[in-house]
Amino acid sequence: MTNDRPGTPGQMTANRRTFLKTGSAALGTAFVMPHIARAADKVLYINTWGGPWEAAARANLFDPFTKETGIEIRTVSPVSFAKLAAQVKTGTYEFDITTLGGGELVRANDVKLIEPWTTEPYKGAVFQNGVASHAFATIIGYRKDKYPNGGPKDWKDFWDVAKFPGPRSLQRYPVRVLPLALLADGVPLDKLYPLDVDRAFKSLDKIKQHVRVWWTAGNQSAQILRDGEVNMIGIWHSQFFTAQDAGAPVGMTWNQGETDVAYWVVAKGSPNAAAARKFIEFAVSAKPLAGFVTQASYGPMNPAANEFIPAAKASRMPTSKENRSQIFDQDIVKLGADPADISRRFEEWLAA
Amino acid sequence: MQATISRLTERPNLWPWLLLTPLAVYLAVFFLVPLIDVVVMSFTEPRLTLGNYAHVVTGTLYQRVFINTFATAALVTIVCLLVGYPLAYLMSRASPRTAMLILALVTMSFWTSFLVRTYAWMVLLGDSGPIIGFLKAVGFEHPPHLLFTRFASTLAMVHILAPYMIMNIYSVMRKIDPVLIRSAQSLGARGASLFRHVYLPLTAPGIANGSVLVFVICLGFYVTPVLLGSPREQMIAGLIGTEIEEFLAFGRGSAMAIILLLITLVILTIYHRRFGLDKLWG
Repeated sequence: MTNDRPGTPGQMTANRRTFLKTGSAALGTAFVMPHIARAADKVLYINTWGGPWEAAARANLFDPFTKETGIEIRTVSPVSFAKLAAQVKTGTYEFDITTLGGGELVRANDVKLIEPWTTEPYKGAVFQNGVASHAFATIIGYRKDKYPNGGPKDWKDFWDVAKFPGPRSLQRYPVRVLPLALLADGVPLDKLYPLDVDRAFKSLDKIKQHVRVWWTAGNQSAQILRDGEVNMIGIWHSQFFTAQDAGAPVGMTWNQGETDVAYWVVAKGSPNAAAARKFIEFAVSAKPLAGFVTQASYGPMNPAANEFIPAAKASRMPTSKENRSQIFDQDIVKLGADPADISRRFEEWLAA
Repeated sequence: MQATISRLTERPNLWPWLLLTPLAVYLAVFFLVPLIDVVVMSFTEPRLTLGNYAHVVTGTLYQRVFINTFATAALVTIVCLLVGYPLAYLMSRASPRTAMLILALVTMSFWTSFLVRTYAWMVLLGDSGPIIGFLKAVGFEHPPHLLFTRFASTLAMVHILAPYMIMNIYSVMRKIDPVLIRSAQSLGARGASLFRHVYLPLTAPGIANGSVLVFVICLGFYVTPVLLGSPREQMIAGLIGTEIEEFLAFGRGSAMAIILLLITLVILTIYHRRFGLDKLWG
């Protein structure tokens, strides 16, 4: 389940920070982690999502990198944020490199789980010691057969159960959903952050009865849209196109789409840090990145990659010129509340 | 000769225990040490504190989810029993061949991948699925929603867990001496009375074993209810996963895990007092 939840905007408490600094030695002995036997410098270990994600990374990033440098790449999956923390605590490294969503990145950087970057692989690439790689967007998808006169055009429409009746679905992931609830309630984009959490929950109250499914897995979201279990859905763009390509009568809008960025990071203290940096520089360079995002249905964060992407593919990416102006980015740093508290409140709200 | 025997019985034979050493070492290293680590973290993360337990015990979210978890496990156990008991009876009365065939059908769910099973339920129970289609065809204008309800999640969990119940009850039923039933009949017991006073008590150990197993395993479920059930169905294992995997709140997650473990141990202790834990595997 956690597989499908990249990106948790976040902040960290001082307590947690001090603990990780001092506690690594004390707790490290108590942890028992499998030790992976490994060659000294010719192998890099990368934490991946497995499945189609890894296939795309293997074909466009891993194998070309090995060909160029002679450094072999082995993978560990699924992506685990907790394991990154455990590795640094114990000093036993199962992987050198992983990808993090924005929220996790802020947290990881706060508690020093990742190696610093002093150079920029491309202009504007580095954020909180992570290297921006690719993005996905949460967009509005809907059934054309249920709304023959046109579907919802923004989150206000999504919330409008009189104009667009029928069951809906959103992700069970409050940090991503709360900004949408605020947009629906009329908060302008530039006033979104810091989040007015109370107002967001009041807005969510209005459609709670109509949200039939709070989806938790990407495949699940595509499936319920395809099967017509819901009339409209806040869905990742790649999953929407999966449903559309399967022949379902579905439509979408990029308007007010919400993007999450994935960042490459090097695990703090990794014995292969130098090779890991080399790999990341390679992975965000124009051509390999273009191949990867095209196969894995993301949008490239390095603008130089765009020239290697055919127009038909680019129109399906949140980062393309036309789409970029319609979507907005999550602002992790200015969130204004602890994501863990938001999540607990959200679960409580759901259960009530 | 006499002396040898008595000497052997006097001194406890240690050899069988020695054979257990590899297993004991394995369990100590891969189970006990991590468990102790979890206990330590629940009191020391993010600092030396009882706060993790205080939060979990007093938080309405956690109370609600703990209650939902145990209510779900109880419901699934009861349904497994209602479904499993007659089926086990059928197996115990059938020819060995037929019994094997039923057993194979029942355990088939073990061989299917968990995700395939879950998505199969989504297709079967969905609004455009065959069951709703059938209901519409026979004249239901507004058939009820099946998917994303407690009905769907319970059905899927029963499907996964029923084999544990059935095999436990079946193994007990098979061993019941038919003479006991015949003598009860010759003494005048019929139908319901025969079942209530003779057969049911004889099969009680199987019922207890199966129920405890199903209940305890079900406590750890969370993906099935979240994927197939209503939005209100959150299980404690899911919350633990979120705390640790998303928020690195190792302390709070550990405290929740320890509380779940303690409650489970209490249930097993009660069971042990009543039936004996050694009988759990039939």
